[in-house]
Amino acid sequence: RLTPVRWSRYGPSYLEPDVSKELYQKPLEELSEEEKEKLKLRAVHPIKAAPPSVSTSVFSDPMISKFTNMMMKNGNKVLARSLMSQTLEAIKRKQLEKYHKAPEGEKETIECNPYVIFHQALKNCQPIIGLSSITRGGKTYQVPVPLNDSRKRFLAMKWLITECRENKHRRTLMPEKLSQELLQAFNNEGPIIKKKHVLHKMAEANRAYAHFRWW
Amino acid sequence: MLRSLRGLVCHPQKLDHRYALHTAAKDCLSSLVKQDVQTPAEGPRAVFYTSENDPANHAEHHEGRHYTIPLEEVKAVFPHGLPHRFQQQIKTFNEACLMVRKPALELFAYLKKSNFAHPAVRYVIYGEKGTGKTMTLCHVVHYCSRQGWLVLHIPDAHLWVKNCRELLQSSYNKDRLDQPLQASFWLKNFKTSNERFLKEIKTQRKYVWGKRDSTEEGRPLGEVVEQGLARVRNASDAVGVVLKEIKQQCHLGFFRLLVAVDGVNALWGRTTLKKEDKSPVSPEELTLVYNLRKMMRNDWLPLDLFQQLHVLLTLRIPELDTVFQRRSHKRGTEGHCWRGIVWTIGTSMGNSGTASGGAVVTTLSQTGSLFKPRSAYLPQELLGKEGFDVLDPFIPILVSNYSAAEFESCYQYYRHCRWLQHPRAHTEEGKEELRFLSGSNPRQLERLAGPL
Repeated sequence: RLTPVRWSRYGPSYLEPDVSKELYQKPLEELSEEEKEKLKLRAVHPIKAAPPSVSTSVFSDPMISKFTNMMMKNGNKVLARSLMSQTLEAIKRKQLEKYHKAPEGEKETIECNPYVIFHQALKNCQPIIGLSSITRGGKTYQVPVPLNDSRKRFLAMKWLITECRENKHRRTLMPEKLSQELLQAFNNEGPIIKKKHVLHKMAEANRAYAHFRWW
Repeated sequence: MLRSLRGLVCHPQKLDHRYALHTAAKDCLSSLVKQDVQTPAEGPRAVFYTSENDPANHAEHHEGRHYTIPLEEVKAVFPHGLPHRFQQQIKTFNEACLMVRKPALELFAYLKKSNFAHPAVRYVIYGEKGTGKTMTLCHVVHYCSRQGWLVLHIPDAHLWVKNCRELLQSSYNKDRLDQPLQASFWLKNFKTSNERFLKEIKTQRKYVWGKRDSTEEGRPLGEVVEQGLARVRNASDAVGVVLKEIKQQCHLGFFRLLVAVDGVNALWGRTTLKKEDKSPVSPEELTLVYNLRKMMRNDWLPLDLFQQLHVLLTLRIPELDTVFQRRSHKRGTEGHCWRGIVWTIGTSMGNSGTASGGAVVTTLSQTGSLFKPRSAYLPQELLGKEGFDVLDPFIPILVSNYSAAEFESCYQYYRHCRWLQHPRAHTEEGKEELRFLSGSNPRQLERLAGPL
């Protein structure tokens, strides 16, 4: 995709802000050639303003922020963020309970880190190939099409959120349902993995129309 | 220490006298050092953990360390006292670890040195939001239950003045309102925590509950509790009876009483409850609150000496029976006998006064309070004029945020229990970030460490 240069108020020479402190805390002698070049470049070019969602916190994760933004409704970021933190806490509690009750041999196999579980679950939910509707001669065909990384991530997150919003009991809260779904996806089971497999099967079935794709 | 010296003397060194003394001193020192390191905990855990599980032995050097309460004891002593988040932590880690902090140690020192013949001292634990007032109260409750006191623990007085579905008009007094659900819930938990006292304490009056139900004089207090649980309509009155009996009998010398109330500012504030004609209910009109306010007053004075005598004669304590026989045998005339009996009762009161009297430990809480601003935490602001006048004079105990050592201890404990899972949380930057974001406030630290 091309950068939307027409609508952004920044000129072409503006660079994105760099939030990580590691590069700037190193003394001059330890920097490699590339890093010195980069620093010189950044000293000369103007930098865009940092959006409020980017933080210097060591605990910030871009994937988690993206997921929180997708969960947000009507701009209520406070609620979305609290739901996300409650979900991570719920996952951690469930795994720690399992960990403490398990015998010595199995303790290493149980993963307690909610971030690792979240990333792995999303990776397991990402489809490899997608379908796109192409109209030829009046009829619309579902054509198998390769997806880029961002599209795969988006589809995984979208499926996760819609599944948790629709297929739950009226009284269960979002964090509980989300933590359940994430743990199931981590173990490669559950409704979202099934949806991914159904998509793959449809793509496999419509293999014949693959030549309709022109990109 | 003496033991080790004696051991060394028994095995004299075969060296020069000076050398022998030097090596003996070195051995003595090294053994002492080993003892010091081993008695608190294993080496690396000594920062945040202590194996001393009895609160009575907690001292200055245990400050900042966590101690474990066995799970059976938690179920027996705290059926309803612990905060919700702490209960979740107990469930997750399969252990209940409480930090020993300065305010609690201060309270223990006061309780150990207080003269129980005097009227009960009132302590008010206050502090900013989330600094650990309820946990300090729970620590004190654990200490007192280990010492064998009767613990009257009201987990949150705010629950009695808000969100009440059923309000019945009290049968005892037409102006007051009953709360059957809250009263029966509290009675159930009170029964679990104080089983043995309910069998020992006897009622001193006859109580009539209705046309067919009544409790005779001299029946164990457990029957009153059963009555309250069985007939939910009379539950609030049962609570009132229990409180009255315990207060009257506390100076007879069979038990020490601890009244532990969390959120005591609820008793003198406003309620959000409304009567059927939509007029607001003030706290005095609730039976539970009215009876609890009577407990907060300092008038647990012993009964008049002759009233005591009457009570003791009706109770028929076995040791006094033998005393009567001996006295009447020795003295002969009734006058002497009477004086003798009063004297022996006086001394026996003094002797068994080793287990009489008590203390009132309360906590202020803005979190559940009604119509109070969020920044209010001082006793004058939260109790209001009325409450402050009733509780005055009291001993205020301030609970503040974690000091540097306590923060370190809490952080190490979370790391040890695998509560901090994020790889960056184990670094120095992560720790400094946690310290900054929480402001060393215990509640904020716990909430922040949750998703990490």
